[in-house]
Amino acid sequence: MRVFLGQRAWLLQRATAVVLLMLLALGAALLLVGPPLTYERWHALATSPHGAVIVILLFAALSVHGWIGARDIVLDYVHSLPLRLSVLAIIAVILSAVVIRVALLMATHMSPVS
Amino acid sequence: MRISIYRYDPEAGTKPHMQDYTIEPERSDKKLLDVLMRLRRVDDSLSFRRSCREGVCGSDAMNINGRNGLACMTSVAALKEPVVLRPLPGFPVIRDLVVDMTQFFAHYHAIKPYLINDEVPPEHERLQMPEQRERLNGLYECILCACCSAFCPSYWWNPDKFIGPAGLLQAYRFIVDSRDTATTERLAYLDDVYRLYRCRTIMNCTEVCPKGLSPSHAIEQIRLELVRASS
Repeated sequence: MRVFLGQRAWLLQRATAVVLLMLLALGAALLLVGPPLTYERWHALATSPHGAVIVILLFAALSVHGWIGARDIVLDYVHSLPLRLSVLAIIAVILSAVVIRVALLMATHMSPVS
Repeated sequence: MRISIYRYDPEAGTKPHMQDYTIEPERSDKKLLDVLMRLRRVDDSLSFRRSCREGVCGSDAMNINGRNGLACMTSVAALKEPVVLRPLPGFPVIRDLVVDMTQFFAHYHAIKPYLINDEVPPEHERLQMPEQRERLNGLYECILCACCSAFCPSYWWNPDKFIGPAGLLQAYRFIVDSRDTATTERLAYLDDVYRLYRCRTIMNCTEVCPKGLSPSHAIEQIRLELVRASS
Protein backbone atom coordinates (compact mmCIF):
# COMPACT_ATOMS: atom_id res chain seq x y z
CA MET A 1 0.00 0.00 0.00
CA ARG A 2 1.32 3.42 -0.92
CA VAL A 3 1.33 5.79 2.05
CA PHE A 4 1.19 9.01 0.07
CA LEU A 5 -1.25 9.17 -2.80
CA GLY A 6 -0.88 12.36 -4.71
CA GLN A 7 -4.19 13.34 -6.21
CA ARG A 8 -6.24 13.74 -3.02
CA ALA A 9 -3.82 16.24 -1.50
CA TRP A 10 -3.42 18.07 -4.80
CA LEU A 11 -7.20 18.49 -5.16
CA LEU A 12 -7.64 19.49 -1.52
CA GLN A 13 -4.94 22.14 -1.86
CA ARG A 14 -6.74 23.64 -4.83
CA ALA A 15 -10.18 23.44 -3.17
CA THR A 16 -8.90 25.21 -0.04
CA ALA A 17 -7.20 27.81 -2.24
CA VAL A 18 -10.59 28.59 -3.82
CA VAL A 19 -12.20 28.88 -0.36
CA LEU A 20 -9.40 31.20 0.81
CA LEU A 21 -9.72 33.32 -2.31
CA MET A 22 -13.47 33.69 -1.80
CA LEU A 23 -13.04 34.63 1.86
CA LEU A 24 -10.30 37.09 0.90
CA ALA A 25 -12.71 38.70 -1.57
CA LEU A 26 -15.36 38.81 1.17
CA GLY A 27 -12.89 40.51 3.52
CA ALA A 28 -11.94 43.04 0.84
CA ALA A 29 -15.63 43.75 0.20
CA LEU A 30 -16.16 44.39 3.92
CA LEU A 31 -13.30 46.88 3.91
CA LEU A 32 -14.56 48.74 0.84
CA VAL A 33 -18.33 48.67 1.38
CA GLY A 34 -20.37 49.97 4.31
CA PRO A 35 -19.32 51.98 7.35
CA PRO A 36 -15.68 52.16 8.46
CA LEU A 37 -14.37 48.87 9.83
CA THR A 38 -14.00 49.75 13.51
CA TYR A 39 -13.21 47.28 16.26
CA GLU A 40 -16.88 47.21 17.27
CA ARG A 41 -17.97 46.33 13.72
CA TRP A 42 -15.26 43.65 13.38
CA HIS A 43 -16.30 42.19 16.74
CA ALA A 44 -19.96 42.18 15.78
CA LEU A 45 -19.22 40.56 12.42
CA ALA A 46 -16.88 37.91 13.78
CA THR A 47 -19.08 36.93 16.70
CA SER A 48 -22.34 36.71 14.78
CA PRO A 49 -23.31 33.07 14.04
CA HIS A 50 -22.52 33.42 10.33
CA GLY A 51 -19.34 35.35 11.03
CA ALA A 52 -18.13 32.74 13.51
CA VAL A 53 -18.69 29.93 10.99
CA ILE A 54 -16.79 31.93 8.35
CA VAL A 55 -13.88 32.61 10.71
CA ILE A 56 -13.64 28.92 11.63
CA LEU A 57 -13.90 27.97 7.95
CA LEU A 58 -11.14 30.46 7.13
CA PHE A 59 -8.73 29.00 9.66
CA ALA A 60 -9.65 25.41 8.79
CA ALA A 61 -9.03 26.03 5.07
CA LEU A 62 -5.81 27.89 5.89
CA SER A 63 -4.60 25.01 8.06
CA VAL A 64 -5.38 22.31 5.50
CA HIS A 65 -3.78 24.39 2.72
CA GLY A 66 -0.75 25.11 4.91
CA TRP A 67 -0.45 21.45 5.94
CA ILE A 68 -0.26 20.24 2.34
CA GLY A 69 2.22 22.95 1.40
CA ALA A 70 4.40 22.33 4.44
CA ARG A 71 4.19 18.56 3.94
CA ASP A 72 5.40 18.99 0.35
CA ILE A 73 8.35 21.09 1.48
CA VAL A 74 9.25 18.48 4.12
CA LEU A 75 8.99 15.64 1.57
CA ASP A 76 11.32 17.61 -0.72
CA TYR A 77 14.01 18.62 1.70
CA VAL A 78 13.91 16.37 4.79
CA HIS A 79 15.00 12.91 3.72
CA SER A 80 15.78 11.38 7.13
CA LEU A 81 12.64 9.46 8.18
CA PRO A 82 12.77 10.14 11.97
CA LEU A 83 13.44 13.85 11.36
CA ARG A 84 10.73 14.00 8.72
CA LEU A 85 8.14 12.43 11.04
CA SER A 86 9.15 14.77 13.87
CA VAL A 87 8.85 17.89 11.69
CA LEU A 88 5.50 16.73 10.26
CA ALA A 89 4.19 16.01 13.79
CA ILE A 90 5.22 19.50 15.00
CA ILE A 91 3.51 21.14 12.00
CA ALA A 92 0.36 19.04 12.50
CA VAL A 93 0.18 19.93 16.21
CA ILE A 94 0.65 23.66 15.54
CA LEU A 95 -1.96 23.81 12.76
CA SER A 96 -4.49 21.71 14.71
CA ALA A 97 -3.96 23.86 17.80
CA VAL A 98 -4.65 27.02 15.80
CA VAL A 99 -7.95 25.66 14.44
CA ILE A 100 -9.06 24.29 17.84
CA ARG A 101 -8.15 27.57 19.57
CA VAL A 102 -10.08 29.62 17.01
CA ALA A 103 -13.10 27.31 17.25
CA LEU A 104 -13.09 27.54 21.06
CA LEU A 105 -12.71 31.32 20.89
CA MET A 106 -15.63 31.62 18.52
CA ALA A 107 -17.78 29.29 20.64
CA THR A 108 -17.03 31.36 23.74
CA HIS A 109 -17.63 34.78 22.22
CA MET A 110 -20.34 34.03 19.69
CA SER A 111 -23.44 36.19 20.13
CA PRO A 112 -26.65 34.30 20.83
CA VAL A 113 -28.88 33.79 17.80
CA SER A 114 -31.55 36.46 17.91
CA MET B 1 36.80 33.20 -27.93
CA ARG B 2 37.16 32.56 -24.21
CA ILE B 3 35.65 29.35 -22.83
CA SER B 4 35.65 28.09 -19.27
CA ILE B 5 34.92 24.37 -18.96
CA TYR B 6 34.21 22.16 -15.96
CA ARG B 7 36.92 19.52 -15.77
CA TYR B 8 36.78 16.39 -13.66
CA ASP B 9 38.61 13.14 -14.13
CA PRO B 10 37.99 10.71 -11.25
CA GLU B 11 40.80 8.45 -12.49
CA ALA B 12 43.31 11.28 -12.18
CA GLY B 13 42.33 11.83 -8.56
CA THR B 14 42.10 15.61 -8.95
CA LYS B 15 39.24 17.71 -7.68
CA PRO B 16 36.73 19.19 -10.12
CA HIS B 17 37.83 22.58 -11.40
CA MET B 18 37.13 25.09 -14.18
CA GLN B 19 39.69 25.26 -16.98
CA ASP B 20 39.98 28.33 -19.18
CA TYR B 21 40.64 28.08 -22.91
CA THR B 22 41.09 30.70 -25.60
CA ILE B 23 40.37 29.60 -29.13
CA GLU B 24 39.70 31.40 -32.38
CA PRO B 25 36.70 29.84 -34.14
CA GLU B 26 36.88 29.35 -37.89
CA ARG B 27 34.19 30.88 -40.12
CA SER B 28 32.59 27.46 -40.47
CA ASP B 29 32.19 27.12 -36.68
CA LYS B 30 28.58 28.23 -36.42
CA LYS B 31 27.53 26.21 -33.40
CA LEU B 32 29.07 25.65 -29.99
CA LEU B 33 29.63 21.99 -30.81
CA ASP B 34 31.86 23.03 -33.75
CA VAL B 35 34.02 25.03 -31.34
CA LEU B 36 34.16 22.15 -28.86
CA MET B 37 35.26 19.77 -31.63
CA ARG B 38 37.98 22.24 -32.59
CA LEU B 39 38.99 22.57 -28.95
CA ARG B 40 39.35 18.82 -28.63
CA ARG B 41 41.96 18.89 -31.36
CA VAL B 42 44.00 21.06 -29.01
CA ASP B 43 43.16 19.19 -25.80
CA ASP B 44 42.17 15.59 -26.47
CA SER B 45 41.58 14.93 -22.76
CA LEU B 46 38.34 16.94 -22.89
CA SER B 47 35.29 14.66 -22.70
CA PHE B 48 31.77 15.36 -23.93
CA ARG B 49 29.08 13.40 -25.75
CA ARG B 50 27.99 14.15 -29.29
CA SER B 51 26.56 12.24 -32.19
CA CYS B 52 24.19 13.66 -34.80
CA ARG B 53 25.29 17.35 -34.42
CA GLU B 54 21.86 18.53 -35.58
CA GLY B 55 19.57 18.46 -32.53
CA VAL B 56 18.10 15.03 -33.04
CA CYS B 57 20.06 12.64 -30.84
CA GLY B 58 20.16 14.78 -27.67
CA SER B 59 23.68 13.61 -26.74
CA ASP B 60 25.40 16.96 -26.30
CA ALA B 61 23.14 18.46 -23.64
CA MET B 62 25.10 20.60 -21.20
CA ASN B 63 24.82 23.70 -19.09
CA ILE B 64 25.82 26.65 -21.26
CA ASN B 65 26.24 29.98 -19.48
CA GLY B 66 23.92 28.79 -16.70
CA ARG B 67 21.22 27.42 -18.96
CA ASN B 68 20.80 23.86 -20.21
CA GLY B 69 20.92 23.40 -23.96
CA LEU B 70 22.30 21.41 -26.85
CA ALA B 71 25.76 22.45 -27.98
CA CYS B 72 24.86 21.60 -31.57
CA MET B 73 21.89 23.98 -31.55
CA THR B 74 23.56 26.88 -29.74
CA SER B 75 24.85 29.60 -32.04
CA VAL B 76 28.35 30.79 -31.27
CA ALA B 77 27.44 34.34 -32.26
CA ALA B 78 24.76 34.55 -29.56
CA LEU B 79 27.02 33.47 -26.69
CA LYS B 80 28.32 35.89 -24.10
CA GLU B 81 32.00 35.47 -23.24
CA PRO B 82 33.53 33.83 -21.37
CA VAL B 83 31.33 30.90 -22.29
CA VAL B 84 30.95 28.81 -19.15
CA LEU B 85 30.24 25.13 -19.80
CA ARG B 86 29.24 22.74 -17.04
CA PRO B 87 27.72 19.24 -17.02
CA LEU B 88 23.93 18.94 -16.64
CA PRO B 89 23.13 20.07 -13.09
CA GLY B 90 21.92 17.49 -10.60
CA PHE B 91 23.28 14.54 -12.57
CA PRO B 92 26.28 12.52 -11.33
CA VAL B 93 29.37 13.45 -13.35
CA ILE B 94 31.31 10.64 -15.00
CA ARG B 95 33.96 12.86 -16.52
CA ASP B 96 34.11 16.53 -17.62
CA LEU B 97 30.79 17.23 -19.40
CA VAL B 98 29.68 13.59 -19.48
CA VAL B 99 26.98 12.72 -16.92
CA ASP B 100 25.51 9.45 -15.71
CA MET B 101 21.98 9.14 -17.12
CA THR B 102 21.16 5.73 -15.59
CA GLN B 103 18.54 7.14 -13.21
CA PHE B 104 17.01 9.30 -15.92
CA PHE B 105 16.51 6.34 -18.24
CA ALA B 106 15.29 4.13 -15.37
CA HIS B 107 12.38 6.57 -14.94
CA TYR B 108 11.83 6.55 -18.69
CA HIS B 109 11.61 2.75 -18.78
CA ALA B 110 9.32 2.75 -15.72
CA ILE B 111 6.59 4.65 -17.56
CA LYS B 112 6.54 1.88 -20.22
CA PRO B 113 7.37 4.02 -23.25
CA TYR B 114 5.71 1.78 -25.81
CA LEU B 115 2.19 1.11 -27.04
CA ILE B 116 0.26 -1.42 -24.97
CA ASN B 117 -2.67 -2.96 -26.79
CA ASP B 118 -3.84 -6.51 -26.15
CA GLU B 119 -6.47 -6.46 -28.87
CA VAL B 120 -5.91 -8.59 -31.96
CA PRO B 121 -3.75 -6.50 -34.28
CA PRO B 122 -5.31 -5.55 -37.61
CA GLU B 123 -3.83 -6.74 -40.88
CA HIS B 124 -2.14 -3.40 -41.43
CA GLU B 125 -1.38 -0.62 -38.96
CA ARG B 126 -3.75 0.61 -36.20
CA LEU B 127 -5.45 3.62 -37.72
CA GLN B 128 -6.04 6.98 -36.07
CA MET B 129 -8.31 9.87 -36.94
CA PRO B 130 -6.40 13.07 -37.80
CA GLU B 131 -7.53 14.70 -34.53
CA GLN B 132 -6.30 11.68 -32.55
CA ARG B 133 -2.93 11.92 -34.25
CA GLU B 134 -2.94 15.67 -33.63
CA ARG B 135 -2.89 15.08 -29.87
CA LEU B 136 0.56 13.49 -30.15
CA ASN B 137 2.08 16.66 -31.55
CA GLY B 138 4.30 18.42 -29.05
CA LEU B 139 4.93 15.11 -27.29
CA TYR B 140 6.50 12.62 -29.68
CA GLU B 141 9.25 15.08 -30.65
CA CYS B 142 11.05 14.70 -27.30
CA ILE B 143 14.63 13.52 -27.89
CA LEU B 144 15.36 12.65 -24.23
CA CYS B 145 18.28 15.06 -23.98
CA ALA B 146 17.42 15.63 -20.27
CA CYS B 147 17.77 19.42 -20.51
CA CYS B 148 14.37 19.74 -18.80
CA SER B 149 14.85 17.25 -15.98
CA ALA B 150 18.32 18.64 -15.26
CA PHE B 151 16.83 22.15 -14.95
CA CYS B 152 14.00 21.10 -12.62
CA PRO B 153 14.55 21.85 -8.90
CA SER B 154 12.03 19.15 -7.94
CA TYR B 155 14.11 16.62 -9.87
CA TRP B 156 17.28 17.83 -8.15
CA TRP B 157 15.76 17.17 -4.69
CA ASN B 158 14.21 13.76 -5.48
CA PRO B 159 15.87 12.30 -8.60
CA ASP B 160 15.31 8.76 -7.37
CA LYS B 161 11.53 9.12 -6.88
CA PHE B 162 10.25 11.95 -9.07
CA ILE B 163 9.92 10.83 -12.69
CA GLY B 164 10.84 14.28 -13.91
CA PRO B 165 9.51 16.38 -16.79
CA ALA B 166 11.02 14.29 -19.60
CA GLY B 167 9.61 11.02 -18.29
CA LEU B 168 6.20 12.57 -17.59
CA LEU B 169 6.01 14.12 -21.05
CA GLN B 170 6.72 10.68 -22.49
CA ALA B 171 4.12 9.13 -20.15
CA TYR B 172 1.48 11.58 -21.39
CA ARG B 173 2.44 10.79 -24.99
CA PHE B 174 1.19 7.23 -24.40
CA ILE B 175 -1.75 8.20 -22.17
CA VAL B 176 -3.29 10.28 -24.98
CA ASP B 177 -2.48 7.80 -27.71
CA SER B 178 -5.83 6.47 -29.01
CA ARG B 179 -4.19 3.15 -29.87
CA ASP B 180 -3.02 2.49 -26.31
CA THR B 181 -5.34 0.53 -23.99
CA ALA B 182 -3.36 0.74 -20.75
CA THR B 183 -4.40 4.28 -19.77
CA THR B 184 -5.88 3.18 -16.42
CA GLU B 185 -2.70 1.33 -15.42
CA ARG B 186 -0.52 4.20 -16.59
CA LEU B 187 -2.52 6.73 -14.54
CA ALA B 188 -2.55 4.43 -11.49
CA TYR B 189 1.25 4.23 -11.64
CA LEU B 190 1.58 8.01 -11.79
CA ASP B 191 -0.89 8.78 -8.97
CA ASP B 192 1.84 9.07 -6.41
CA VAL B 193 3.04 11.97 -4.31
CA TYR B 194 6.58 11.48 -5.62
CA ARG B 195 6.30 10.21 -9.17
CA LEU B 196 3.98 12.96 -10.45
CA TYR B 197 3.08 15.35 -7.68
CA ARG B 198 6.61 16.56 -6.88
CA CYS B 199 6.09 18.92 -9.80
CA ARG B 200 5.53 22.47 -8.52
CA THR B 201 4.78 23.94 -11.95
CA ILE B 202 8.04 25.91 -11.79
CA MET B 203 8.06 25.55 -15.60
CA ASN B 204 11.85 25.58 -15.97
CA CYS B 205 11.34 22.49 -18.16
CA THR B 206 9.19 24.34 -20.67
CA GLU B 207 11.47 27.37 -20.54
CA VAL B 208 14.61 25.38 -21.35
CA CYS B 209 13.44 22.65 -23.78
CA PRO B 210 15.63 22.95 -26.90
CA LYS B 211 12.84 21.42 -29.00
CA GLY B 212 10.27 23.98 -27.83
CA LEU B 213 8.08 21.39 -26.08
CA SER B 214 6.08 21.94 -22.90
CA PRO B 215 6.53 19.19 -20.30
CA SER B 216 4.72 21.32 -17.69
CA HIS B 217 1.62 21.37 -19.90
CA ALA B 218 1.83 17.58 -20.27
CA ILE B 219 2.12 17.21 -16.48
CA GLU B 220 -0.94 19.41 -15.98
CA GLN B 221 -2.84 17.30 -18.50
CA ILE B 222 -1.91 14.10 -16.62
CA ARG B 223 -3.28 15.63 -13.42
CA LEU B 224 -6.52 16.52 -15.20
CA GLU B 225 -6.73 13.01 -16.69
CA LEU B 226 -6.40 11.64 -13.15
CA VAL B 227 -9.24 13.90 -11.98
CA ARG B 228 -11.43 12.74 -14.90
CA ALA B 229 -10.55 9.10 -14.22
CA SER B 230 -11.50 9.34 -10.54
CA SER B 231 -14.75 11.29 -11.01
